[in-house]
Amino acid sequence: MAPTVPSLIQRRIVVAGGFCVMAFALVGVRLVDLAVFKGQVTGVSVAAVDETPPVRADIVDRNGELLARDLPVFDLYAMPHTFWDKEEAARGLAAATGANLARLEKAFASKHNYVLVARQISPDIRDRVMHLGLPGLEFHPAVKRFYPQGIAAVQVIGATQAVSGGQGVDGLERGLNARLVAGQSAQLSLDMRIQYVLEQEAEAARKKYNAYAAGGIVMNVNTGEVLAMASLPDTQGTAPKGIDPRRNRMAQDDYELGSVFKIFAFALALEDHTTRMDELLPVGSGFKIDKFTIRDAEHMPALMKARDILAQSSNAGTAQIALRSGADRQRAFLANLGLLQPMHTELAEWVRPILPRHWGEVETATIGFGHGISVSPLAFVTAASMIVNGGRRIAPTFLKQDGDRRGEQVIKPETSAGMRDLLRYVVTDGTGKAADVLGYNVGGKTGSAEKNEKGRYVAHKLLTSFCAAFPIDNPRYLVFVMLDEPHGANAEGVMALAGHTAAPLAGDVIAHIAPMLEMPAAAVAPHAPTKSSS
Amino acid sequence: MLVRILNTFFLAAAGLSCLALYHVSEQTRVERVKLASVERQIVDEKSSMSVLQAEWQRVANPERIQHLAETRLGMDDTPTVELSSFEMLPRRGEESPLNADPVQNASLIAPSRDTNMHLVVARGN
Repeated sequence: MAPTVPSLIQRRIVVAGGFCVMAFALVGVRLVDLAVFKGQVTGVSVAAVDETPPVRADIVDRNGELLARDLPVFDLYAMPHTFWDKEEAARGLAAATGANLARLEKAFASKHNYVLVARQISPDIRDRVMHLGLPGLEFHPAVKRFYPQGIAAVQVIGATQAVSGGQGVDGLERGLNARLVAGQSAQLSLDMRIQYVLEQEAEAARKKYNAYAAGGIVMNVNTGEVLAMASLPDTQGTAPKGIDPRRNRMAQDDYELGSVFKIFAFALALEDHTTRMDELLPVGSGFKIDKFTIRDAEHMPALMKARDILAQSSNAGTAQIALRSGADRQRAFLANLGLLQPMHTELAEWVRPILPRHWGEVETATIGFGHGISVSPLAFVTAASMIVNGGRRIAPTFLKQDGDRRGEQVIKPETSAGMRDLLRYVVTDGTGKAADVLGYNVGGKTGSAEKNEKGRYVAHKLLTSFCAAFPIDNPRYLVFVMLDEPHGANAEGVMALAGHTAAPLAGDVIAHIAPMLEMPAAAVAPHAPTKSSS
Repeated sequence: MLVRILNTFFLAAAGLSCLALYHVSEQTRVERVKLASVERQIVDEKSSMSVLQAEWQRVANPERIQHLAETRLGMDDTPTVELSSFEMLPRRGEESPLNADPVQNASLIAPSRDTNMHLVVARGN
């Protein structure tokens, strides 16, 4: 039987059936796509909301307190030709945005079709403008860097360019720019409570002693974290002539710190066993070296024990102790503590130390008591932390860290323990008595350096400082404070020395911050002699 | 006859599928609009939260709190004293730091800078 040829109608039916099957298949595919793959397979996905993400990530302190954030703002433009009454529009916009009325009136009366009314207005001001009901207004979304804590730690946190999405120009905003731009927020080591205390106490001392500038650093000696760093004055209004309030003097300026540097001379003497601390040295008539005679600012007895040379801060005695180690050993020792190289941190600012061109005998003697070498306070604090923390290396950081970050041994643990005893002795029996805080066993060293002006040391222009570690038997924190040229009624003559200016400031800072740092006061024996002073 | 039935069935199915497709398409469009609206709302709320957090940080900064405490509440700037820490408290059943000795007088000299503020403690046994 011959095969039957399908008729025309049958062929049409088959074609129509084929179309129907294809239609069902398409519908099925689309349903599966929408239900299962959310429209990704067919490429017809749901349109994303036009979101403008923050350009720069947040900066927060170690407790999560907000320090810097990009907030949404708007640039407001107007097309004056659309206004019925240009003067009324100018008045309304000036009142709503705070823009200058005369400028707006002038701009609206000109031939310009497009006028900038105000930059970086906040959402609530935008709502106020919307209520004016004016036509021809355009809001261009932008972001503005906002610092909720005002000028607190301004030189450390830094700032960005004023334009929307601007790059960091100084401080951590610049140092951490790549990270922040990539959207990765930064949790700093700063504790804004400690920062506030340091700034407040340093500013009070600056005013009390009529100093040109003041500053301070609080560092965790086991992690290298900087908990607070202040450079005052920090506002243009209170800054004496020649002082830049944006300058981070703790990180980007070098200072001849004077007697606080004796810490290193004594640490070296203990490390190398060149001097016994009960050894008597002649200091009364000064110490002659080369064509110079090193004398002390205050009268000293003819003979002093080594520990009293540190406690009473004798330059003549310290020079002799420094010379026992020699120039090469002193240089290597200071280099190992990181004092002869620039101190780099996350901050954009750093400074190279100023070292003597020729490191001979005279330089070795003067560097022993902190003259002839200039370092940044941050470098000094880092090195001093290594002296008291068991003698192990730390690197300063402005980012929050977890746990102990002490590295290799820099000096012997016995040397570190010996130095802690000596620093406590300075506070109980030496020039640092005013820094003591009952219950917190403070150890430390004073420094009163004559400032060098045009190559000559000026006796009445002092840079006073105090470096304190507490609790000294097992230090956790180091507090360094500095006053630049204390003078006036509260700081005349010897009263300008560090023991009367910087030491009480350090004590005040410690008394306030110790409870914040969750450090219980040590029990003090009943009826024990009290050494509180202020 | 069968051909006509099939023809009618397929035509009806095609019509229904068109309607279903239109319905799904329309529903998708409506949902897309709703989704965009919700996402916009989320963005706005996040933005508001961000602004409010920053504003809170501004009004709660230590300088402002201290100023308010001094001017409105008449409080002074006084160092606080931490007597102990949570970690130092003995757990139940553990020996207490005082060896369970009776304490006759609370003992502490406050770490104050002010010499007038000494609390002296003596422990009895």
